[in-house]
This record gives sequence, structure tokens and C-alpha cells, in this order.
Amino acid sequence: MIEAKWKTVLRYMVLIGFLVIILLPFYWMFITSFKPDFDLGAYPPSLFPHHWTFKHYVDAFTQYNFGMYIRNSVIVSIVSTFFVLMFASMAGFSVAQLPVRGKTPLLVALLVISMFPSIAIMSPLYMLLRHLHWLNSYQALIIPYTAFNLPFAIWILRNYFLQLPKALLEAGRVDGASIFQTFYRIYLPLTTPGMFTAAVFTFVASWTEFFMALTFNQSNTMRTIPVGIALFSGQYTIPYGTIFAGSIVSILPIIVLTIIFRKWIVSGLTTGAVKG
Amino acid sequence: MAVTNNTVIRQITSTRRSLSAPERRAGYGMLIPGLLVIAAVTIFPIIYSVWMSLNNISLTTNGYLMSFAGVHNYNLVMHSAKFWHSVWFTFYFAVVTVFVELFLGMLIALAINGVERLKNISIVVMLIPWSLITVISAQMWQYIYNGVYGVLNYIFISLHLIGSPVTWLGSATSAVIAMMVADIWKTTPFVVIIILSGLQMVPKELYESVHLDGANAWHTFWNITFPMVRGSIALAGLFRILQAFGMFDLPYVLTQGGPGTATQSLAVLGAQVMFQNLDFGPGSAVAVSTVILVLTLSLIFLSAFRNLVREGEEQ
Repeated sequence: MIEAKWKTVLRYMVLIGFLVIILLPFYWMFITSFKPDFDLGAYPPSLFPHHWTFKHYVDAFTQYNFGMYIRNSVIVSIVSTFFVLMFASMAGFSVAQLPVRGKTPLLVALLVISMFPSIAIMSPLYMLLRHLHWLNSYQALIIPYTAFNLPFAIWILRNYFLQLPKALLEAGRVDGASIFQTFYRIYLPLTTPGMFTAAVFTFVASWTEFFMALTFNQSNTMRTIPVGIALFSGQYTIPYGTIFAGSIVSILPIIVLTIIFRKWIVSGLTTGAVKG
Repeated sequence: MAVTNNTVIRQITSTRRSLSAPERRAGYGMLIPGLLVIAAVTIFPIIYSVWMSLNNISLTTNGYLMSFAGVHNYNLVMHSAKFWHSVWFTFYFAVVTVFVELFLGMLIALAINGVERLKNISIVVMLIPWSLITVISAQMWQYIYNGVYGVLNYIFISLHLIGSPVTWLGSATSAVIAMMVADIWKTTPFVVIIILSGLQMVPKELYESVHLDGANAWHTFWNITFPMVRGSIALAGLFRILQAFGMFDLPYVLTQGGPGTATQSLAVLGAQVMFQNLDFGPGSAVAVSTVILVLTLSLIFLSAFRNLVREGEEQ
């Protein structure tokens, strides 16, 4: 089917227009982070900075502890991702390949749980963490992040394990390997794409989570990036320059991740279509 | 003959059963740790939330005191205009934004489907808002909407759409619309990606055959494309709406629920009652009511969705 030329041109125009609309606010944030203070509240705003300054980037790290927020976010996100992969790969394998009962109700229940608004568990978890003196600690976030991302990861990995033949299990048994060894040595390496997908989704969800991080870890030294950025405050004005400098720094690693893993993100979105 | 067959079958099944016993054990052994983590952080706290919502709770230095109060907290909540306002706001915000996102997403996906160049870069750009910390996008839009130096005023005044600067987040109606725009901006690209991959699964031969029949674009869309992607759109819409019921980050940072309580979502209200006023009883009642709402809605949607899928299969 050969399309008229004007139709193709129209398609490209829509695409480019759409991409520009997505990127424009980022452009604004980007140049604002380089504008000197007196330019931030100027009207009319300059659409391109006349003087470039790195002051806000320096401020973010020296005055506002942004380095610490990044460190907290990295630790919480990476450890949560590790635990999710560990539990979800075993559970996904079990549901896909082994004879456990009640698979269908279990999978539906997981789906329902992953849709629960986090406000539902906020007060009991807060009470529990307070009682254990775990408020303002890494585990206060790692444990809930692991639990909240597990259902989706189990779903994704189950779908990948389902595509592998059950005969591999037989082969492992003939070779005298235990079921766990067969899982670990034979099945797991074959589901690397699924592991990437689950990892990226968990990492991004932990990196962006705000509600629990704000409620459980408010002390300045334990804040993650979203909490840090939300609670940045100046003495008289909102320090947008510093806020956006910090934002740009925290967006960059995620963009790199997105570029590297885009194939797996898209496959996760289409098989799951669950997370937003 | 029949008897021998049966014995053979019985023998086979019994060996299979004895073989599968270790498999079953391993299966539970590998499944249960993960389920325990999920249960510990979601199921038990939800049940405990229900219990808390039936009690008067006061904080002590290292714990809290509870005394049973029956449905007292629910009485408070059900008679609070603030609560019903939050329910209504959360509901219509979710429905309007998800509808617009699906509609725009469908239009854009149809328009750019089949574009070959720029494909990789487009997908990366469309994924950026999805991976963006909502708090950052809220701060970004707050700066854009600012009534004194916001760039939106500058653009609208330059285009002669408005005469003088508007404090976008200062009045209820414009604050709600401004927040909707921020949400739609962040989520539409994600919807486009989902619909686009659904569209790519429609076999090309289908289009060619209708094209020979001389069908126009609208007919092709309505009879071929839409039925094929209806399932994934409905599912995406369902999850988005349910998710929108937990909305917290955007109103908390962009408007702090204001002006007044115009943009106070259920989660923002619940958090305020619990963690600012430290009224954990009524706060838990708000939280539990939210869960009941979400569950009821998902049941309604699920049955509607099942009919939709069945209809699609019958055609």
C-alpha cells in the first residue's frame, strides 16, 4: 500500500510536533537551571539565558546536600531492585514451571494488590516502623519498595519462564541437579531480557516514589531525591534554579538507562501495560 | 484390554506423582518467600488499617493507645464535606485525564504509526516523561504556571490569548485544569507507546483487503483497527484510572491541594489527617474508604471489560 506523499509528510509533522511538546518543558527547566538568580523571576522571561552560570549546580551540592539525596536514592533503588529480582525470579519460575496449586487466583490477587493505593497501608506501616525505630532508615523504604514492585515483576518473569520448555527440568534431573540448581544454572540465564525489564521497572518506580519516602524518611540526611526536591525551600523565595539543577542531575542517569534498556521497557509495557 | 490400560495409566500417574512431589516442594519453597514479603507489607497492614479505622488512637512517645470506637470514625468521615469533595475531585480528575490521554494517545498513535525514520529517538523521548519523578514535573509546571514571571503568561500574552497575567494556580477552575494538563503531558506519551505496539500487531493484509474493497479511512479504523486494539486500550485505561485514585505527588507539590481544598485528592486528604493532624483513626477511615472505592470500581470495570473482550472475540 503506497501512501500519498502528503500523508507521510503529515505523519512526520505530527510526530515532530508531539516530540517538541514533550521536550519544551524540559528545555525550560534546563535553561532555567543555568540562569543567574536575577533572571529567574524576570518578566518577560528570557527564552535563552544571556549569562550562563553553574552556581545553582554548585549550590545544590554544597548548600542543599543534593549529593546525599542522590546517594540515598541510589542505595534504596539498587537494593530494592536486587531483592525484587531475587524473590520474583524464584516465584515467577515456580508459578510458570512447577506444580503449585492455586496459580490463577494467586496471579489475579497479585494484580489486585499491585493496584492498591499506597495510602491504604500508610498508617499501619508508619506505626510499625516507628515502633521498631526504623523511621529514617534505608530499610523503611527498601522493604515496602520490594513488596510493592514484586507483583508486577512476578507477572513479567512468569511470562518469560512460560516460554521455556518444561523438558529442561527433566534434563536437569537426569544430570542429577536439584530443582533449584536447574533454575539457577539453566532457566535463569535464558530469561535475561525479562530480568532487565523487571529491573528497570523496579528501579524507576523506586527512584520516583514520593509518598512513602516523604512519610517515613523526612530527616534531612535520609531524604531521597523526590523528597529533597519537594522540600527544597529558600528563605524568601522558592529556589527554582537549585531545584532544576538538582532535577537535571537526577534525570540524566535515568535517560541513559532508558536509552540502553528501551527495548525491554517497551516489551514490559506491552506485556504488562500495568505500570504508569 | 481396558483393565490393563487402566493399570498402566495408574502406574504412570503414580510415578508422575512421586516425581512431582519434590517439584511441588521446591515450587512452594521458591514461591513463599516472595509472597510473605508482599503479605507483610500489603495484606497485613490493610487488615490492620481496617482495625485502626474502628478505634480511637492517640500517639504516645514510643507507641500508641487504641480504644475501640466502632464506626465513630466512619461517621465523622461520611459527614465531612471535605471527604466527599475529595472523592468527587479524585473521581472526575481520574476520569477526565484518562479519557483525554486515551483519546489523544489513539489519535497520535494512528498518525505516527508506520513512521520509519526517527523511530528509536521517538521512543526514548516518549519514555522520558514516564521515567520522570512526578515531583520534578510538578515543580517544573509550578514555575511555568507562575502568575508573576511564568512563561505560560508570556506565551499567552504574546499570542494575544489573554490581556494580563493570570495566576493559574490561584483559582479553583484554572488550578484543576492546569493540573490536568500537567498529568496529561506526563502520561500521554506512555499511552501512545502502548497503543502503537498494539497497532503494530494488526496484520497488514487486513488493511490491504479493505483497501481493495474501497473502504474509507474512517471505516478502516472503526471496523479493523479499533476492534484489534480495543482490549489493550480498555486495560490500559482501567489501570490508569485505578492508579489515579492514589494520586498524591502532583497535588501535594503543585498546589498543596489548593486553592482552598480545590485539588485535594483522597490521598492528600488522608495524609493530611494522619500525618499533620495526627488523627490516625479518622485518617485510617479515609484510607479504608479509598480502598473500598478502588475495589468496587475495579469490580465494575472488570465485568465491563470482560464483556468488551468477549464481544471483540465474537466478531
